[in-house]
Amino acid sequence: MAEPAYTVASDSETTGEEKSSSPFPEIAIGIDIGTSQCSIAFWNGSQVELMKNTRNQKMMRSYVTFKDEIPSGGVSNQLSHEHEMLSGAAIFNVKRLIGRVDTDPVVHASKSLPFLVQTLDIGVRPFIAALVNNVWRSTTPEEVLAIFLVELRAMAETQLKRPIRSAVLTIPVSFSRFQVTRIERACAMAGLHILRLMPEPTAVALLYAQQQQQTVHENMGSGSEKIALIFNMGAGYCDVAVTATAGGVSQIKALAGSAIGGEDLLQNMMHHLMPNSESLFSSHGMNEIKSMALLRVATQDAIHKLSSQNSVQINVDLGTGSKVSKMVTREEFEEVNRKIFEKCETIISQCLHDAKVDTEDLTDVILLGGCSYIPKVRDLVRGICKKEELYKGMNPLEAAVCGAALEGAVTSGISDPFGNLDLLTIQATPLGIGVRADGNNFVPIIPRNTTMPARRDLVFTTVRDNQTEALIIVYEGEGEKVEDNHLLGYFKITGIPPSPKGVPEINVCMDIDASNVLRVLVGVILPGSQHPAIPVMEVRLPTVDDGHGWCAEALHRAYGSTLALETVQKKI
Amino acid sequence: MAVFAVLTPSYHVSEPKATALVYSYCRRNNPSSRARWRNKCSPITCCSRRAGERARKEKTYYELLGVSVEANVQEIKESYRKLQKKYHPDIAGQQSHEYTLMLNEAYKVLMREDLRKDYDAYIGQTRVHFGRNTSGFGYSSWKGPLRPQALFVDENACIGCRECVHHAGNTFVMDETTGCARVKVQYGDNDQNIEVSVDSCPVNCIHWVDREELPVLEFLIQPQPKKGYGVFGGGWERPANVFMAAKALNKQLQQQAESNQRTTQSTVEEETPAQAEARANATMKIKMERFSGIWNFFKQLF
Repeated sequence: MAEPAYTVASDSETTGEEKSSSPFPEIAIGIDIGTSQCSIAFWNGSQVELMKNTRNQKMMRSYVTFKDEIPSGGVSNQLSHEHEMLSGAAIFNVKRLIGRVDTDPVVHASKSLPFLVQTLDIGVRPFIAALVNNVWRSTTPEEVLAIFLVELRAMAETQLKRPIRSAVLTIPVSFSRFQVTRIERACAMAGLHILRLMPEPTAVALLYAQQQQQTVHENMGSGSEKIALIFNMGAGYCDVAVTATAGGVSQIKALAGSAIGGEDLLQNMMHHLMPNSESLFSSHGMNEIKSMALLRVATQDAIHKLSSQNSVQINVDLGTGSKVSKMVTREEFEEVNRKIFEKCETIISQCLHDAKVDTEDLTDVILLGGCSYIPKVRDLVRGICKKEELYKGMNPLEAAVCGAALEGAVTSGISDPFGNLDLLTIQATPLGIGVRADGNNFVPIIPRNTTMPARRDLVFTTVRDNQTEALIIVYEGEGEKVEDNHLLGYFKITGIPPSPKGVPEINVCMDIDASNVLRVLVGVILPGSQHPAIPVMEVRLPTVDDGHGWCAEALHRAYGSTLALETVQKKI
Repeated sequence: MAVFAVLTPSYHVSEPKATALVYSYCRRNNPSSRARWRNKCSPITCCSRRAGERARKEKTYYELLGVSVEANVQEIKESYRKLQKKYHPDIAGQQSHEYTLMLNEAYKVLMREDLRKDYDAYIGQTRVHFGRNTSGFGYSSWKGPLRPQALFVDENACIGCRECVHHAGNTFVMDETTGCARVKVQYGDNDQNIEVSVDSCPVNCIHWVDREELPVLEFLIQPQPKKGYGVFGGGWERPANVFMAAKALNKQLQQQAESNQRTTQSTVEEETPAQAEARANATMKIKMERFSGIWNFFKQLF
């Protein structure tokens, strides 16, 4: 078994990261792919600028239509009417679907969308399809995202008159590493190299650091540490971060997030207006799709109106003989979505707790995203943070993309003579990473909110006498049992010299670098020996190829505890 | 840049590399309950512990962050941010990954009072907490890198001859209020001048002491206000034998540290399991030598 250690090498090790190789380094652009809207920003040499499409829009709807032979996205395409997007031919909300298996509740919540989302509840990728000429054309979220990114890239290249190869993308805090690989794949399909992936509030924190730095310059004062809470709630995700900023360095103290957003508010309202809507629309016939679209548009419109007025009258003819005619008040809307708002509060409290920050320590509270216009959201954030005034210096829809563009410029090695790029975000891991050990337990090795880059290790041992192989199953998440976490991958270490159980020391070391690449190193040592018993194995994760939720279950069924591990160091 | 202390070959030339490696394995077992391994390993542990400790002193977390042992949280924060801005992989590129890892580790430990205490105990540093009335006055500073030995003037014995100040004026200074010489800057002059000044002392009151003992000695040698009872007492005093006093104080501090450790363990329940675990891991790590060095060693091998 004396093979050389083999490494599942990364392709990003050889490319990228080579600084100052050319006198004019390419500046990475920032891309914010939202559940409903997308935007691109770039560093124009003195400041961040948002790109506009041919129709002079900064915000572009995130969708792809499969109407013709060639699919087209929302960057250049002009919708004749909102209903066209809801005809079943367009795929949207892909950010909520990407990298999720069909047992995921978020996927189930997407089943009432006009296009087809079918689940079999066996832990495989859901069947997603668009209606083209009365035929369901199957697609994947990666494909949809790639088509969209190609359009974005083409638009940026035309405007900047140079090829675009690298980008900084923002992702939700709650994205698992597996979901991140799906985003990476979509980018690769679109010919984009991902320089950095930033959780959305982290990008905002960088923008905040720049704004604070500028105010310090203007006032000629000394920059004292400022602690800010960033709450970002869009259509698909709700993210919170607490950051400590001083001297242009923003340190993420804690992150928290969940897949709740405007889409959930919308669906709850639709259900409220038409309690049997889900069963009615599940057949996905032409007429049902049409009525679903009508109801969706009317509900969305009503929610928008409820941000400025106390009640709204909804009158919509669904075409199939059913009509919805109802007066909805703001209180009703808040009551229908009470659980969502409670969840928001929980996320904020948890983030403050993790950051060990009291509300009186907060200098600023930054509220962002499409949902930030909802009075209830504003109230609850103000309430928990005990702040009357919210931070005003940022555009709620553009902050994340601006932050991403700043990170793109900083990481590309650009320096600004006025010190506008004298910035840094010190990121933290949004989720814990560990392995399966001690039975069916998840043993975290790198806990949540660890400063990146990070490296931690833990010693494990065998559970049986003469156990020569061990299975390292890597998970990500916060659950105590492995089932509650995301499977990232697994590999086997072989050739452990036969010895009584509990004797070989299996050291599992995890290393995350600044570009968020996770490597797992495993070394085996027998007591008294001076050298590792087998070559050290280094694997880049995730290794799972597709969202195979059944994978862990199958492994467990096949091997049981025969290749299991247990922790050596007992925790206090 | 990212040279881990355990495996710095230039430092413990006399020790074979492998011993240092085994040393860290044995250390790693020690905190665990499995005593049989400890027994097996103990001879190696004994002989190589000194090497390990010496090697480790090459760069403590304090030196890594460029702060003094007594730096407060604010100073550590500032220094950490400054260093991060220079060395973070976002700015300096991927090659500074290892260095940033060390910075993060050092920062994490020094920012948490309980971890920092453990670490101080581990590296044999004593932060002089007890002297609230000491404004830092009278403490010598260091020129250049910290060295294992430091100069100390026993002012009880000093006769104020000014010989040392004459030979090494950048190192020694005359304290006119006490009429004694004291060390202003450690290694402020070149080694030869220092050697001459030490030899020139007619009462041999200039001592070479271990660096760790220095803060305690310098604290104790300063005259402290004596408690007065009416017209009796009052005035200033200092221990007659400063070295004995230092020994006693060190012992006291050690006991204090131990009891602190006990209290921190008892307060663990207040933390969330994840935090407790992170802390446990970190404490473990401090105690067991920097194991991460081994990964580097492996990487060199293969």
